[in-house]
Amino acid sequence: MLIKRKKKVLQKAARILVAHQEPKSIISEQFRTIRTSIDFSTPDNDLETLLVTSAAPSEGKSTIAANIAVVYAQNGKKVLLVDADLRKPTVHYTFSLMNNVGLTNLLAKNTTLQVAVKKSEVEGLDVLVCGSIPPNPAELLASKSMDNVLEQLKEQYDLIIFDAPPLLSVTDGQVLAQKCDGAILVVSSGSTEKENIVKAKEALLLTKTPILGVVLNNFNLTKDHYYYNYYRMEE
Amino acid sequence: MEETISLQDLFQTLKKRIVLIISLTIIAMGIAAVASYYFMTPIYQASTQILVNQKNDQNNQFNTQEIQMNLQLINTYNVIITSPAILSKVIDNLDLNMTPAQLKGQLTVNSAQNSQVVNLTVQDTEHFRAVDIANTTALVFQEEIQKLMNVDNVNILSPAVNVDFPSPVKPQKLLNIAIAAVVGLMLGVGLAFLLEYLDTTVKTEQDIEELVGLPVLGIVGKFPNEILQNNATKPLTARKKEKAHAN
Repeated sequence: MLIKRKKKVLQKAARILVAHQEPKSIISEQFRTIRTSIDFSTPDNDLETLLVTSAAPSEGKSTIAANIAVVYAQNGKKVLLVDADLRKPTVHYTFSLMNNVGLTNLLAKNTTLQVAVKKSEVEGLDVLVCGSIPPNPAELLASKSMDNVLEQLKEQYDLIIFDAPPLLSVTDGQVLAQKCDGAILVVSSGSTEKENIVKAKEALLLTKTPILGVVLNNFNLTKDHYYYNYYRMEE
Repeated sequence: MEETISLQDLFQTLKKRIVLIISLTIIAMGIAAVASYYFMTPIYQASTQILVNQKNDQNNQFNTQEIQMNLQLINTYNVIITSPAILSKVIDNLDLNMTPAQLKGQLTVNSAQNSQVVNLTVQDTEHFRAVDIANTTALVFQEEIQKLMNVDNVNILSPAVNVDFPSPVKPQKLLNIAIAAVVGLMLGVGLAFLLEYLDTTVKTEQDIEELVGLPVLGIVGKFPNEILQNNATKPLTARKKEKAHAN
């Protein structure tokens, strides 16, 4: 009972935009490192769509996706963060936005891009929230309409980051991955099962989308860790 | 997949569970201390020394062979002392409420190598009773041996004495606590490794490399508490305004 309630609260809580709020913190620096790693792993710079997913729920996908979006925006790119988790959307909490119109409405052709895409308080970062929760998320994401929307978005943005549902829970992640140029697997240190990460990798491999790499979340940074010392000294 | 364990990993595991290990050790020590101070009945000990020596009436010449014989006799005596023949008499004399076998359990008889002195040690929950048993046993033995073996070569060298404030020999509190500490420590270390073994979650970058062979783009630490608290108490926009004011 207690555990259940706790999980629910977590779901509603806003993900922390560390990279925006505390740009000088160690964690923000780590996100910038991730950005650099992504850039290095795609030297031809053809990365337009990036999928952020994980094996199981609550491993930090939304936090990682939002913060990567922020650091890319800070780098001068025009970035769009798409809440592609049509089952448990959270991006609108993170950016304090209304979830009235969003991706699902776009896919259902109920609205236009101009209305659906919202500006965030981070310069250069726009957000496309989930919108009304549909009964058939996987079908929606696989639809032709999704391809059309993606095409339109690609014209307007340098980078589109998808906050996807967990791979092992639902098929949405795989469906989305097929449409993306690269995928990032979020692994939570101390909570992701070893078995699951192997399964998640296999699920992603099926989609033929290149896996750019893994982001290790919730890592226990000890005081003697080199990252820690280096940036503490600067402050 | 071959699993390799490095010394550093072992050390890391121990370091991670150091609190568990230390607390288990302290708890074990505490239990041992409480048990030995409050729950274990203290056992007192008293001992007498018996000298076995044939009286030489014929000649005063020093006879090695005789000493040798005495030494051999001692082994026999050791058995006789703890025999029911002696012990039942001791029980009768002292009105003890126990069987010879029980009494035998309280008695230890030993003699140093090649020595004619036999040590008779008695352990009991009451010190005075231990003294009584020791002395009575020695006396009964001295008397009985004359009948049994027709010799008169047993002398009581030093009888057991009552002391005002006897200190118990059991439980050995410090030893018990030390043993408990070692046991607790071993238990803690064992548990630490067990927990580590049972934990099937991904921990480090190496785990990921080994499991899936994907590059690690970066690591994100746990969010520091100050950021979490800031975020929990105020909405995003309010915080931004505050920051603008501060600047």
